[in-house]
Amino acid sequence: MSTVINFFKTIFLVDLLKGLWVTLKYTPRPAFTFQYPAERRPTAPRFRGVLRLQTEPGTGAQTCIVCDQCAKACPDELIALGGHREPGQKIKVLDYFDFNLSRCSFCGLCSEVCPTKPIKALIMSEDYELGSYSREAQVLRVDQMYDGVSIEAYTR
Amino acid sequence: MGLIDHRFEDNFITTSIDRVLNWARESSIWPMGFGLACCAIEMMAASASRYDIARFGAEVFRASPRQSDLMIVAGTVTKKMAPVLRRLYDQMPEPKWVISMGSCSNAGGPFPTYSVLQGVDKIVPVDVYVSGCPPRPEALLYGLMRLQDKIRKEGSVLRRERVIPQGQSEPILVEA
Repeated sequence: MSTVINFFKTIFLVDLLKGLWVTLKYTPRPAFTFQYPAERRPTAPRFRGVLRLQTEPGTGAQTCIVCDQCAKACPDELIALGGHREPGQKIKVLDYFDFNLSRCSFCGLCSEVCPTKPIKALIMSEDYELGSYSREAQVLRVDQMYDGVSIEAYTR
Repeated sequence: MGLIDHRFEDNFITTSIDRVLNWARESSIWPMGFGLACCAIEMMAASASRYDIARFGAEVFRASPRQSDLMIVAGTVTKKMAPVLRRLYDQMPEPKWVISMGSCSNAGGPFPTYSVLQGVDKIVPVDVYVSGCPPRPEALLYGLMRLQDKIRKEGSVLRRERVIPQGQSEPILVEA
């Protein structure tokens, strides 16, 4: 009996039609894929992207007070910053802020200890598009810390 | 290009051999999945249907180095794994590229220890470094697009071999 059933199943392509039915069920649904370069998926609220230095929103003044706490908090010692004191001014002026991205594990300890209020000077931004052609380009300088990492153009 | 452009009928396309070969190479990069740690999970996510690396023509993750063009080093490269990685890289046919994915393979990550290789570029020439710990699948796709940019600008016919001299990390080009 079972051989007869199997014979008719083979003739009428039952298994093939079953598979095609699954395909057909999924066909009218909207596409599941994110078209990544065109549309960007929103990140989670506490997402930790690359480090970013913030300025005062209205004036663009420096908020970092060069307290060196982020450099001390970093478990891999990836942050080096320094500044000088202008005569007559209370706040130190940030001279350099070198952040070695290559080892960073995005733990967020550096931005957690940043004491500046109400605008936090050092935050984890939502930028995650980080790709570079050399190891030197992974050390971010102070202007990249303010403006974000731009797309590196390849030169032969 | 300039001499023969627009001098034929409409169904002729003039181009340079470099551009055609590079177009073919950049749009069908077959990666070799070299998942070593948690970055491999994100690499798998990038090849699944949500992010779909197949949109870039790189969906065929080969298990064999002989069939692949790109090695995605995803994860911590230990010193025990390093000779194996180099051997697999040597077995890949030219042209070949390497994406270093994640902090561990970029520079050793949070493991400055005796057992972890401090950057995969110490043993193989890396084309694109993707930072992140681990990088999101989008970041891997971004790194792939950066690699495609690089391939587009490479000379394809007179390809020269990349060799790392003893004691250096940066590869140099020598005539093959």
